[in-house]
Amino acid sequence: MPAPPLVFVFPAFSNDYSVHPGNDLKGFKEQFDQLVNEACRFHEFLPAGFHFQDNNFLDDELKTQYITYLYSCAASMVLRKNQRIPDYSAGYSLGLYAALYDSGSITLDTGLRFIQQAYLAIGESVKGQTSGMGTIIGLDRNDIELLIGKSNLKIDITNQNAPYSFVVSGIREDVVKLLYLANEEGALHTRTLPVSVPYHYHQLKDAATRFEKKTSHLDVFPSLNPIVSLIDQKELHTPRELRRELTGNLYLPLNWYKTQQWFLLRGIYRFIECGPSKSLVKNAKFVAPELRFFSLDRIP
Amino acid sequence: MAEITNNTRNEVKEIVYNFFADECEVDKSQINDNTLIIKDLDGDSLMFLELIEIFKKKYNLEIELKVIGKYSVKHPVATIGQLIDMQMLIIEHENQLLDLDIKS
Repeated sequence: MPAPPLVFVFPAFSNDYSVHPGNDLKGFKEQFDQLVNEACRFHEFLPAGFHFQDNNFLDDELKTQYITYLYSCAASMVLRKNQRIPDYSAGYSLGLYAALYDSGSITLDTGLRFIQQAYLAIGESVKGQTSGMGTIIGLDRNDIELLIGKSNLKIDITNQNAPYSFVVSGIREDVVKLLYLANEEGALHTRTLPVSVPYHYHQLKDAATRFEKKTSHLDVFPSLNPIVSLIDQKELHTPRELRRELTGNLYLPLNWYKTQQWFLLRGIYRFIECGPSKSLVKNAKFVAPELRFFSLDRIP
Repeated sequence: MAEITNNTRNEVKEIVYNFFADECEVDKSQINDNTLIIKDLDGDSLMFLELIEIFKKKYNLEIELKVIGKYSVKHPVATIGQLIDMQMLIIEHENQLLDLDIKS
């Protein structure tokens, strides 16, 4: 009997590597070191000598993104070497670059350049503004939209992870205010995210346009397996579709909850979180009991 | 509302102890009602949410999460014992949980 379909999901960036699931994945450390060394040969801005325990370089948002990308790429390479071949993949926010690398659509170097250009383009758009992101758990979308509307806050809901779990982006002061209001309204958990820019915020459209121009010379190839969009839950294969996703990923809202439902509707419920955190594994508990999410240290 | 029997508290306690032992990877014998959830077990509010979901399913509860959230702001939980007390109130009063503050 054929194995049920498998999805590789690549998470957003993490800035704590002191305990990380790849540590228990055979061959991961060697693969990660190899990719870091390879990347350092071509990019002087890359953090040679990254150390998991010291968490060095991780006070720098861009370097953190590079490390997460390299980590995720190394993880999926090890899995593929061990005959874990995904039928689909999905990239959660920054995870999109690793999903593209894993599916053979871009080289390691191209992924780093995409990340760099996205960061620079967004930085230019929010220059002079103090921006931020936050998470709210325990309220529904309508509750949050009402709070935003009532106080006229410059904030978008930029992702939904589960029925009562949301990510918001916008002006930092407004994010802080919204989290306070959400707590008063009965949210069970709120927190600001350690980022300086409002990823997926609608006002980043100009950044996306600049990013598109700056990266138009970079090669993107058809993907080996379909990548499912977190923006509109469509299957992406062609370079044109993938480029559109890369651009949209900067300024359009994501919906991870809908994406998981998309998979469930097709009878696909096995996922491996290819990254340094277990956040998507934990989140899946609040989505559907049928979902089987595995972190790198718990693959059966 | 779910029927509260003499056995309910023991049942809730058993679920809560097993849950934290499993999630926090500690021996169940190290947990007691005075154990501090965040300080001693490194627990978090997501675990609280997960427990609520477990009890909602087990006792077929009708309660909005924000009702629990509002109640928690006024009655913060720090220990395992306090968490069990709150779960009992949730099971007993469901969406009328906030009425307890009006009555008291």
